[in-house]
Amino acid sequence: MAGKSGREISAVPEGGIKSKLLSWEGALVLILIGVNILGVAISPNYNVNNVLREMPRYLAEIFMMFGMGYILVLGDIDISVGALVCLAGTVTVLSSNAGAPFIVAVIICLGVGLLGGMLNGFIATRFTELPTMIVTLGTQIIFRGIAEVLFETWGNGGGTASMADTKGLMLLAKKLGPFPIAFFCVIIVGVIMIVVLAKTTFGRKLYAIGSNKTAAYYAGIKVERIRFICYSLLGFLSGLCALFLLTATFGSNTTTGQGFEMEVIAMCVFGGIATTGGKGNLTGAFIAAFIIVCLRIALGQRNINTQVILVIIGLMLIISVLVPSISSAITARKKRA
Amino acid sequence: MKKKSIGQFLSESREASLVIVLAVLLIVVGIINPSFLSFTNIRQIFLNNTLTFIMALGMLCVMLTAGIDISITSTLAFAGMSIGLLQKYNVLHNTFLLFVIGALIGVVCGFLNGIIIAKGHVAPIICTMGFMYIWRGMAYVISNNNWASGMDVAGFSDFGKDGAPGPYIILILAYIIFFIVMKWTRFGRRIYAVGSNTEAAQVSGINVDRTLTSVYTIMGFLAGLAGVLSVSIYASAQPNMQYGKEMDVIAACVIGGVSMSGGRGSVAGTFLGALIIGIISKALPMVNIPNFWQNLIKGVIILAVVVLNVVTQRTMDRQNLLRREM
Amino acid sequence: MKKKVLSVLLASAMVASVLAGCGSSAADTAAPAADAAAEEAAPAEEAAPAEEAAPAEEAATEAAVDTAAADSAAPAADASGSTYALVTKSAGNPFMERMASGFQEAVEAQGGTVVIQNPEAATPDAQISVIQSLISQGVSSIAVDGNDANALTAVLTEAKDAGIKILTLDSDVAPDTRTVYCNQAGVQQIGETLMEAVYDLTGGEGDWAILSATSQATNQNAWIDAMKKLMESDSKYAKLNLVEVAYGDDEPQKSTDQTQALLQNYPDLKVICAPTTVGIAAAAKVLQDQKSTVKLTGLGLPSEMAEYIGDDDAHSCPYMYLWNPIDLGRLAGYTSIALVDGTITGAAGDKFTAGDLGDYTIEEIDGSTQIILGPPFKFDPSNIDEWKSVY
Repeated sequence: MAGKSGREISAVPEGGIKSKLLSWEGALVLILIGVNILGVAISPNYNVNNVLREMPRYLAEIFMMFGMGYILVLGDIDISVGALVCLAGTVTVLSSNAGAPFIVAVIICLGVGLLGGMLNGFIATRFTELPTMIVTLGTQIIFRGIAEVLFETWGNGGGTASMADTKGLMLLAKKLGPFPIAFFCVIIVGVIMIVVLAKTTFGRKLYAIGSNKTAAYYAGIKVERIRFICYSLLGFLSGLCALFLLTATFGSNTTTGQGFEMEVIAMCVFGGIATTGGKGNLTGAFIAAFIIVCLRIALGQRNINTQVILVIIGLMLIISVLVPSISSAITARKKRA
Repeated sequence: MKKKSIGQFLSESREASLVIVLAVLLIVVGIINPSFLSFTNIRQIFLNNTLTFIMALGMLCVMLTAGIDISITSTLAFAGMSIGLLQKYNVLHNTFLLFVIGALIGVVCGFLNGIIIAKGHVAPIICTMGFMYIWRGMAYVISNNNWASGMDVAGFSDFGKDGAPGPYIILILAYIIFFIVMKWTRFGRRIYAVGSNTEAAQVSGINVDRTLTSVYTIMGFLAGLAGVLSVSIYASAQPNMQYGKEMDVIAACVIGGVSMSGGRGSVAGTFLGALIIGIISKALPMVNIPNFWQNLIKGVIILAVVVLNVVTQRTMDRQNLLRREM
Repeated sequence: MKKKVLSVLLASAMVASVLAGCGSSAADTAAPAADAAAEEAAPAEEAAPAEEAAPAEEAATEAAVDTAAADSAAPAADASGSTYALVTKSAGNPFMERMASGFQEAVEAQGGTVVIQNPEAATPDAQISVIQSLISQGVSSIAVDGNDANALTAVLTEAKDAGIKILTLDSDVAPDTRTVYCNQAGVQQIGETLMEAVYDLTGGEGDWAILSATSQATNQNAWIDAMKKLMESDSKYAKLNLVEVAYGDDEPQKSTDQTQALLQNYPDLKVICAPTTVGIAAAAKVLQDQKSTVKLTGLGLPSEMAEYIGDDDAHSCPYMYLWNPIDLGRLAGYTSIALVDGTITGAAGDKFTAGDLGDYTIEEIDGSTQIILGPPFKFDPSNIDEWKSVY
């Protein structure tokens, strides 16, 4: 069944606890546990408090991951989101410094994100011949370009701007017990996004489009409208990401969000979503995101060379996408024997 | 036979419309700053963008098979850093051997991409994304926070000196070879066949896996070569070299009319696309636009050209349809 | 059943490969508790072939760190028992590497433990992750080379609240988030030195241009502003004409494009001043390859620039300046120790001895507390050979 299982490890039919364990999500849970055991083993400082304290900067990216999951299920891709985070953050900081109250700044932040997403969606649905990677490559340069112009023309120049009034941001950065507010927001947004994708007709339509766009079109699905909605949604979530990133940086500069798009896509893919569309679910991606975050925190506390961490993530990514091929090769050999 | 109007002629050939874009760019920049059209300047456009030009050829092949490779600049950095360090630690100073080693490193990187994509049936963007992290990380790890600098690569950098013929010869040779291979050899036709319709290619006896593997290996070879050239042209090897420039290469191909869904694209188009990218980066500092406007303008031009491509294609299709109906 | 085994195997293989990563690139810290874990992981090393390529030098330096830390346990040195951290701008930069080695040398000489963190990219985001991790590790002090003046405010305040002493070096952050800034040389001093060099090379009149890094580089902007102010205030420079400030983004290719554009746009150009190590090397190569008569000066690494420094027409750069990054790192190391053991609090007027670097006093400059290393050092054909192998 399209969309159900993230990545096939086995040919066992669905149903029962056994198959749950055998699914890709089951394996991801095991890996998540493994990573946490590893963390405790290698670092004396790896505990709940420290992990939750280090997490907010990464949590911001997870918001975006949910939207990216939708886009990937559609069989599209969006590499402009990192730049969009930069633009949304910049406009927020500059408008707040120009006197906008915090609540207005928040609305502006989400609004800019939404508008950016809508622009992507507009071009992608108007010129369907264009690969979305190219559309969003263009808008990526443009979004960051606008931010650069704003720093000079509206801000104080120097390619950086910091928020003068940080009261509102401090409020957002608060913790309830050991848990940062961002953590709860991620869980809430995550549950909604997961349920919408897995349980609603809207979600089903995404899988239908991702599996076969033409067939979906003839089945009466308004393909372009749904694509537009998904791009706008991702844009909105990029705005949310920008907002929570601001709670960590209190400002924005020309490098903000650099490389986020690839990290977010990596989380989705590691979680079992295929970039070819129509496969995978957000539960897997959600677990995968925490695997990567916990791994980074654990290795970071052990002061592993940051570049080596990237090599490890690259290796994990490739091994994870090779799993179906390897397992099917093994099954084939078993059958022959 | 009816005489064609100019409009018709333009909308019938993608390359022709690119030439028009190119001409408009040159005229506009030339009016603002006449020295842009000087011989030295045009020569430098080619020299400064040799890497984009060369890697665009590999990307053309990859994209013809409906694939993509975003690991190229990481491969470039790994190969470039390796040969830079070989010189820094005085292991090797022979220019020819360094080229061979750099290209071989590229071939290995590319082959790994190819074999995983072909045999493991992994989506190209994901596989190359993994290697993007891996090779870039490896470049940092082997560099151990050092650069190979001007004095380390002293003799070697003469090859890519401004005014030396080396890079131009490689550039011209690469384009001639690829033009011939893609147009007149069986291998070239196979690449087009795999990209247009993989199943059909398979059924007609083409070894799809082997074609895919070789395409990525070629890409890796060119990326490795670009790495060596980069060290030679800039007389410096740094682990972060050409970071993010893979997007320029992809943009060059797409501007040149290469389809990302495979099967369509030409060497001539790729050349024009890379030239447009080169002219943009060379012209922006010369037309007295403040630095902070440059990215925005670059993005708008890229998007505009790409959209223009689509519009041209649509007009072409419509006219073909009209003609058939008549 | 077999399939379940397979999935568990795959999961454990991934964890193993991660463990192997830890084993082979055992961290810079010499935290003894964690060493056992690294040893356990050693057998899994074969699982991840890519990591094995980690160069031998790295392993060697780490071994050195370990022994140094072990030695320190015995004598009662005043810095033992504390961990001193340094956060550089980014990995893969020789200037940062030399700075880090100076820092390490100074702290270890006093028996302290050193943690050097190179963020994966030269962005404040990457520095935030790294600093967060250092807070978790409970280090005694953090010396930061800021990638952004303001973006680190929140995380540094958090570190301060956790009782960690914060200082900056090379590139400063917002003054109220740190105790003291180890400045390589006063802004005014650098501005004057570079202006004087431009005056000398142009012969006192004519066109000159600046090739900088990025438009948001705090240091570079401050120096350029200082130079502009000098040109306005001092009539000596009245005949000099600054035609453009170009930005090469510290990328060789863009710096090359920008230099060539400067040459073409301003045929009467006499001097280019590049106060950035990447920009100056790229510009030097362009000028030298084209056999241009335009001369170059600025701030550059001797090892990068040795090829281009010379008085004759065959070389493009007659002389340039820089400070010693090793000394800057050592100064930051001694300052860290003094802050942690309470010799200084970071208030203006505090005095301390920075090993063989001599005595330093914290000064108040433009409303912020700074320690100034010394005047920039001039590199010319007479001394470049002796320095090019040092840094």
